[in-house]
Amino acid sequence: MSESESCAPEYLVARVRRALAEDPRTAELGVLVDVRGDRLVLGGSVATERRRADLTAVLRAALPDVPVHNDVRVVIVDGPDGHEELR
Amino acid sequence: MIRVGAVGDVHMAEDNRGRLRPALDRIAEHADVLLLAGDLTKHGTLDEARVVADEFADLAVPVIAVLGNHDHHGDVPGRIAALLAERGIQVLDGESVVVPVNGRRLGVAGVKGFGGGFAGRCASAFGEPEMKAFVHRTTEAADRLRTALAELTPERADVTVALTHYSPVADTLRGEPPEIYPFLGAYQLAEAIDATGTDLALHGHAHFGCERGVTPGGVRVRNVAQPVIDAAYRVYRVEPDRAPADRIRSNS
Repeated sequence: MSESESCAPEYLVARVRRALAEDPRTAELGVLVDVRGDRLVLGGSVATERRRADLTAVLRAALPDVPVHNDVRVVIVDGPDGHEELR
Repeated sequence: MIRVGAVGDVHMAEDNRGRLRPALDRIAEHADVLLLAGDLTKHGTLDEARVVADEFADLAVPVIAVLGNHDHHGDVPGRIAALLAERGIQVLDGESVVVPVNGRRLGVAGVKGFGGGFAGRCASAFGEPEMKAFVHRTTEAADRLRTALAELTPERADVTVALTHYSPVADTLRGEPPEIYPFLGAYQLAEAIDATGTDLALHGHAHFGCERGVTPGGVRVRNVAQPVIDAAYRVYRVEPDRAPADRIRSNS
């Protein structure tokens, strides 16, 4: 994916999204990818801190010269806060 | 009053083993049943299915699930379903089940579902064989959901829930890019739900969607994908408030 560094932002986003979905280390289809200025910005949530770190690792390996802002958060798994009444 | 607990898209693997269990160990305080709306695993492997089984087995309430697209990625969905069933987690794939709850009967019909899009902006079975196969997969899933829901007659169930992974409506996809809606759900699922007097529809799959929606026929829809609900599970208290004679049912 090294040639992606100089391609149009739209193609870069498409290639990054495919990489994050199809690389078995990440397998994440639910991560937002955007290009802002000279950097990639990731958003959304994943199940663990390790999966969040794996996103950055996969992109650093594929695009070593593109800065990555990983704004993905880890999903909260506390017990339910109340309930919804459906009548 | 039936307390329905639900969550989808838990994406279990070795690295999140045990993460939900503290909340699940106390589930009987909040819910009478737990429904899992697919994407139980990350890559659809049997090893990950064992993590799912360890996480959700032996809870104080019945656990009923459908599989999701991630659970199909390893091409062993049948073996995953069998493994979960051995641990007491019932996996529905076009079937229904009735669970007794505090003197009431909760009927759940489940199917993974598929994409295709929503009325007026959806795929048609026309042209290439791949396109026809895609749409056939959607209609076949919706037909099986309709048949399973129709089995849950008022004589058999006081409250009926449709459980899918893909969304039956666009309402609960708000927040997702509109361009990918056809990959997130299909209106045919809602048609099946509306035709069968269903009380509540639960789905997952849309991580950036929103929780609440309604079918064109007025049935409440809730997106319980874990990134949406931001909790171990959500609880919906459903009151059986309609007399059996008022319920419109169709086997067509």
